[in-house]
Amino acid sequence: MRSRFPLLWLALHRRRRMLVALLLGMVVFETLIVVIASTLSPGQLFAGGGRTPPGAFKAFSGSTGDVSIASYPGLLGAGLVHPFWIALQLTVIGSLAAAAVAADVESGTIELLMARPVSRNRLLAERTAALAIASVALNAAATLVVAAGVALSPKLHHAVSIGGVFVAGLLGCAFALSLTGPALAVSAVGRRKSQVVGATIALGAVGFAVNFVALAWSKAAPLRYVSAFHYYAPGDALAHGTVPWAALGVLTAVGVAGIAVAFRLLARRDLAP
Amino acid sequence: MAGTATVIKLSSLTKRYGSTVGIEQLDISVASGEVFGFLGPNGAGKTTTIRCLVGLLRPTAGQVRVLGLDPVADHRRLASALGYLPGELRLYPELTGHHTLRLLADLQGAATPRRGELCDRLGLSPADLGRTVLEYSRGMKQKLGLVQALQHDPELVILDEPTEGLDPLVQETFFELLTEATAAGRTVLLSSHVLPEVQRACGRVAIVRAGRLVTVQTVAALREARARRVRLTFADGLGPRPLGAAERWSPRWDGDRVVLLVPPDELVTALRDLLTLPVADLTVEEAGLDEAFLDLYRTPTPEVRP
Repeated sequence: MRSRFPLLWLALHRRRRMLVALLLGMVVFETLIVVIASTLSPGQLFAGGGRTPPGAFKAFSGSTGDVSIASYPGLLGAGLVHPFWIALQLTVIGSLAAAAVAADVESGTIELLMARPVSRNRLLAERTAALAIASVALNAAATLVVAAGVALSPKLHHAVSIGGVFVAGLLGCAFALSLTGPALAVSAVGRRKSQVVGATIALGAVGFAVNFVALAWSKAAPLRYVSAFHYYAPGDALAHGTVPWAALGVLTAVGVAGIAVAFRLLARRDLAP
Repeated sequence: MAGTATVIKLSSLTKRYGSTVGIEQLDISVASGEVFGFLGPNGAGKTTTIRCLVGLLRPTAGQVRVLGLDPVADHRRLASALGYLPGELRLYPELTGHHTLRLLADLQGAATPRRGELCDRLGLSPADLGRTVLEYSRGMKQKLGLVQALQHDPELVILDEPTEGLDPLVQETFFELLTEATAAGRTVLLSSHVLPEVQRACGRVAIVRAGRLVTVQTVAALREARARRVRLTFADGLGPRPLGAAERWSPRWDGDRVVLLVPPDELVTALRDLLTLPVADLTVEEAGLDEAFLDLYRTPTPEVRP
């Protein structure tokens, strides 16, 4: 891989320790969620006071439908939209999207790379592939842990299908893609890593907040359509086990459009520190 | 240059960054087999020009042709014949020297027949190459930069401040490499603000200042045209005083002594005027090449020189 795709190798090689740490973090975190879900019933966790959680809490269970966080799919879904899960995703996307172009421009290493017979399209394609590999690995780690937990716990298996876990994993990949596209577009025109990381965090954090507000406040309900978290609903996927094609399509389309814009922007810019 | 292929041709090349001018209306031609010097003070536009040559920057106006190709549109074809050492060499600190050279060779997609020989001659041992760039001194990074620029034996070599950080022995080796490259028919563009290295290595020189071309001359012609250094000592002990028309030669006073740089074609007139003053001693000598360059750097525009 190193000699055929040196730019891809370089992006992953330079961040290998961070990626391993994030993968381990994801495995440990999802294991914790699975252990909690299989040990305590959701009713015990969320309805101790005799009240059911407010509707806006669906934002924390990864549902846009009827899946309460006080249910097994809702609880496992919560592990897939938890701020920790979001932080891990944003770290991978932010750092590798920044590494695509902006980090090399900022450090000045772009001069050495792009004085070679390397097209700008190739630079971005290899860097996008590196990001895709890291994102898929992170989501695969989360999915496999949850799938193992569901397979091993009869209580969870009764409420959640293995197929539903993999649909949630697929949605996780699409969610990552929907942030990857815009983040790469920022990197393609950016001159600093911090611009890309900041934009990625803003997309994730603002998206989550907008979705939560839209669920909590009926007047703001239409705003939910602008948030990736409206389309990324792992709680629903875990409960129903069906692929939400429309949501998957929206997330994928946003990601692909962002990547296309990134290629276009990169082709037009100056590449110098 | 008649009958010789033009390797680099800049026609009215202009690069602006918003309202800031990087370079303005630059016209330069470099022939095949030349070692061409590109001189100017910091901020003159040398690096901007070079980045246009290698396709990193898009010209705002004008045309760039390198080996007959457009550096941006034909980037891949051009870059395969190019060896480039950036002025501000940035490397990946966590890669070893060996990994760095291999990475850049992989990107070049060409064999690297000279890598071993260059490392030997520039004093990069296998142990050095096994260490991370983070541990490298400035000079070692520069050696690595030279190896990566030359390891694939490119047709055109563009070097921006190549001797920066190199010790005198390695500089000698560098000049040997330049001589060998030209003997093998390679073309070299050498950007520098170190005058002696340009004097030593280059046949022709372009001087830029504030983004504009001041002059393109052979080093020999530049030497011929350089100013005369006139030293005067006054006998009356009155110290600095007005020198009349000679004030335009930027006199530098030291007590009763003054030094002026006078263009050769105005020397006789200047001396005639100066000798009307109470001069006790006078010497005239050729200014150093560095002073000639500095004179060109300082002058607002060559056309308005008195």
